[in-house]
Amino acid sequence: MAYSEKVIDHYENPRNVGSFDKTDPQVATGMVGAPACGDVMKLQLKINEQGIIEDAKFKTYGCGSAIASSSLVTEWVKGKSIDEAAAIKNTEIVEELALPPVKIHCSILAEDAIKAAIEDYRAKHPG
Amino acid sequence: MNYFELFGLEAEFSLDLNELSSAYQALQKTVHPDRFAHSSSQEQLLSVQKSAEINDAFNLLKQPITRGEYILKLRGTELASEQQTLQDVDFLMEQMELHEMLGDIKHASDVDAALFAAQETLDVQSQHLWQQFEQLLTDDNQQNNHKAAELLRKLKFYKKLQIELERIEDALFDD
Repeated sequence: MAYSEKVIDHYENPRNVGSFDKTDPQVATGMVGAPACGDVMKLQLKINEQGIIEDAKFKTYGCGSAIASSSLVTEWVKGKSIDEAAAIKNTEIVEELALPPVKIHCSILAEDAIKAAIEDYRAKHPG
Repeated sequence: MNYFELFGLEAEFSLDLNELSSAYQALQKTVHPDRFAHSSSQEQLLSVQKSAEINDAFNLLKQPITRGEYILKLRGTELASEQQTLQDVDFLMEQMELHEMLGDIKHASDVDAALFAAQETLDVQSQHLWQQFEQLLTDDNQQNNHKAAELLRKLKFYKKLQIELERIEDALFDD
């Protein structure tokens, strides 16, 4: 299967790989996995007091499309509010990376990782 | 007729692979093209289709994950094509650590020992899940089937780790 140029670019030069201290109250962690392929994705967001995402990091064990999808969302969420980030849809990832139908689950994984991270943030900061 | 019935086997998870293999070979003989050399083209086509079906059934039943999925499907719990993500944080953290363990193998001072230890870890953990899975299947009810499906989803992550470990091993021996 041929990967699009954008997937190859993110795969070869992934943006924002790494981890933040997950005990830091500013840090929200989202962990998700795709049973269909066994891919595992960790997305961490650093969120300031105004609720703006200042920084993001990811670690993904998976195929090129899964790595590219997570790399892309770390770029997209930076500077966004929590609500704006929560509104990111997997279809936008599919479109940007030109993912084929068999790789749509990689974009779903990335969307769910953002949602899981935001849920973690809201659990850490109730109200 | 389901795939188990096709081979004359009970629809049970713990099947005898030798028995499956013999049943497969016996069945393939009955549809072998040589037997249909003088038959009509319609009959030849049917025998080819039957042969393909027998192959599909054999390949599905011989692999524990697809066999488990198939049993759950027969019981009304479908999981093969689902796109839903798994969000069990503790399990996924362990998965990340297992991937890191595999990634560290090539840097180990004793690579053979590291490979062996990694295989052992994957085997012990996945066998533990398989045992629970088999136990749940012994009683066919919705709650058990859902729990069994959840275990099978986790076992797919172990399959991925196993493939990764084999890839690492191949790469090390190529050098």
